[in-house]
Amino acid sequence: MIPTSACLLLSAMLFCLGMLGVLLRKNALVIFMSVELMLNAANLAFIGFARQHGNTIGTSGHVSAFFVIAVAAAEAAVGLAIIIALFRTRKTLDVDEVRVMKH
Amino acid sequence: MEKLFPEYPFSIQNIENGLWLIIALPLLGALINGVFGKALGRKNVHWVACASVGGSFLLSLLVMWALGNVNTSVFNPFSPDISRYALSADYGTWFSAGSFKVSFGLWADRLSATMLLVITGVGFLIHLYSTSYMEHDKGYAKYFCFLNLFVAMMLTLVLADSLVLLFVGWEGVGLCSYLLIGFWYDDNAKAWAGRKAFITNRIGDFGFLVASFLLVLLVTAAVREAPQGTPVSSYRFSTGLSEKGPLAFQSLSALATTLAATDTTAKPNQETPALVMNRDIETGPLKGYSYAGVLTAVLLFFLLGAAGKSAQLPLYVWLPDAMAGPTPVSALIHAATMVTAGVYLFCRISYLVVLSPFAMATIAVVGCLTALIAALIAFAQDDIKKILAYSTVSQLGFMFMGIGCGLFWAAFLHVVTHAFFKACMFLGAGSVMHGNGDETNIKRLGGLRREMPWTSWTFLIGTLAITGIVPLSGFFSKDAILFGLETQQLTGYVPVLHTLYWLGLIAAACTAFYMVRLYVLTFEGKRSPLAKLPHAHESAWPMTLPLVVLAALSVLAIAHGLPLLSLPHSPHHSQTLMEAYLFPVFNVANQLGADTQKLLKTGLDKTEWTSLLWTGWFKAWLIALVSGGISALLYFKLWRGGRKFPAILEPLRRFAQNKFFVDELYELLFIERAKGLAKGLYRYVDAFFVDRVAVHGTAQTVGFLGRVLCWFQNGNVQAYASAIALALAVGLTYALLQVLS
Repeated sequence: MIPTSACLLLSAMLFCLGMLGVLLRKNALVIFMSVELMLNAANLAFIGFARQHGNTIGTSGHVSAFFVIAVAAAEAAVGLAIIIALFRTRKTLDVDEVRVMKH
Repeated sequence: MEKLFPEYPFSIQNIENGLWLIIALPLLGALINGVFGKALGRKNVHWVACASVGGSFLLSLLVMWALGNVNTSVFNPFSPDISRYALSADYGTWFSAGSFKVSFGLWADRLSATMLLVITGVGFLIHLYSTSYMEHDKGYAKYFCFLNLFVAMMLTLVLADSLVLLFVGWEGVGLCSYLLIGFWYDDNAKAWAGRKAFITNRIGDFGFLVASFLLVLLVTAAVREAPQGTPVSSYRFSTGLSEKGPLAFQSLSALATTLAATDTTAKPNQETPALVMNRDIETGPLKGYSYAGVLTAVLLFFLLGAAGKSAQLPLYVWLPDAMAGPTPVSALIHAATMVTAGVYLFCRISYLVVLSPFAMATIAVVGCLTALIAALIAFAQDDIKKILAYSTVSQLGFMFMGIGCGLFWAAFLHVVTHAFFKACMFLGAGSVMHGNGDETNIKRLGGLRREMPWTSWTFLIGTLAITGIVPLSGFFSKDAILFGLETQQLTGYVPVLHTLYWLGLIAAACTAFYMVRLYVLTFEGKRSPLAKLPHAHESAWPMTLPLVVLAALSVLAIAHGLPLLSLPHSPHHSQTLMEAYLFPVFNVANQLGADTQKLLKTGLDKTEWTSLLWTGWFKAWLIALVSGGISALLYFKLWRGGRKFPAILEPLRRFAQNKFFVDELYELLFIERAKGLAKGLYRYVDAFFVDRVAVHGTAQTVGFLGRVLCWFQNGNVQAYASAIALALAVGLTYALLQVLS
């Protein structure tokens, strides 16, 4: 059986990749995808722990993962709408080009 | 009184219950005229104003009636005995703080009743006069509103049953005085005169307040420490204290009796039994001072307060400038009523005054110097109202002399007679101004006797009354004071009083001189070529009627000053009507004074006393006559027709004309200092600290912080994300370290 630590390691790696993508990529769509990656990394950690504990503490680990998926779906809807609106007004998705929300 | 009015139209109980109406009527008048004055129109405004004061006058007459009855007595909450010839009404607690309490109550005895009649009677006449005098003024309703408010406040002052309520009236009349002096406020000089009066009075009020605070401490200390058997250590006193508070006049009276009582707990080796007031206070904030010392301080602070209100040295400077107000105001407030509040105050607390010979001597000296200085300044003034103002200051000085030698009734009689003749003369001056195009310089008047007969005759009667010519009231009131100075035995200060007697005679001589000068220059001789109008006109009846009534009163008031009644228990004194009438009021003071200071114990037998009285009268009369005669001679014969004043005396005249440069001296000594202080406060506290540091400093700090923080809000979402990630990393590292260690 695959140890939980391997799951967590993979989850951490995915999370770091996602975070680096959010911090370094300039395209809003890619950033958005990276956010999804981070969410999935979290999901993986939930599932890993859930599997380790089996049914001793119920199904809360799995339920959390489903919640995260639901949130990610909602977020995708809102986020993609924002990105489309952004592209329509600015004709670009480069986050360095859309620095308007400032002092 | 009892014989004249065997049955009262109202029961005493009813009059007692309606006591508040005396104050409420003018207050209501002020309210109506103040709020609805414009809508009412001129006709109705003066109806409201006159009717409210007239109503108060009628109610005051009822009070006077009731006080003539021996059965009129009130229960004294501070002691088991009752106060005869008094009415009182209590409206419950006004405010309280801890064990200190002030009740709201009214108190009318014969002293306040006499004041009531003077205030409402003379006040009514002056209201009537004002309807004609102020006829064309645009602030007609406002004027009557202020005047009614003044009457209400003055009535509060005299009807108060505690020092606190008295102080309300005291401040109220000060406010009305300020409002009415600066009535024509668009003239800068007049507005300044109002401010000067107000600020000078503030200095006096400070003295009044400090004295009241000290009195509270003194009563508290006496309650704690007085030996058994004295009034303040009784159970009744403590219940009274919790009911009415320490500043009620009945409480102060009990305090005075206690302080004058013999100390039963004194050490046996003392030769003479000491009085309670010679003890030192052992506990409390006044620890280490003697009762007598604190009492003297209290009276000196009250003297400061009275000096402010009653225009005595060193605070008299506001009164001559107060003549900027309308003339009826000068007559009512600055001659007849408000300025006598200081005298009234000392009469009210007469039982405390007699316990301190030092304070009494100080009061007498202050009064005498004021009388003398004001009289000397009046010599060289040319403004008719200024001369009358200085003569008011001077006469107030006489009243203070009366207080200082312990003859309260004489001082108060002078208040009353002075109210009559001085109001008469002020109104006469107003009539002169009204008929001569507001000319006030007496050198530009003259010859008015034929053109203004009513004004002229009544003014002559007023002049003779203040001068002290025999058959008029001013002579008896003034001479009663001078006689007191000559004969009173104020412990330790007899030579002082004797000196003051001679100075008082000089002041009386000066009074005669300048008043005759005023009369002659204004009314006699030919009309001056410099006059504004070629012919003067006599005023209308609402102005002349008050003049006639007041002149008649100046003559009739003589009845109060004649020594008609003989005293059963003191055969070598005869009493005047006023003294007998006010006996219930000053009884305590007279007894305490006789016990502690030998006051009223002249040590003279009947023949000596009578001869002294007669020679005193003769001296005073002779002096008034000679001085007035010289003045009349000079101004009739010698200096008529543009003849110059003797050159040798010219600098002296200049000096007096400029009021001995007292105003300039105050300007240099105090006003410049105060201005410097104010400028410093403005520059460093207001402009620098408040504006620069507190207000602008706060704004600038916030602005700076904002500019620093907005550097972080650069719109770069990735920068925000980095910050979050960094914070997360730091937090995680910290958590890890915590877990691992």
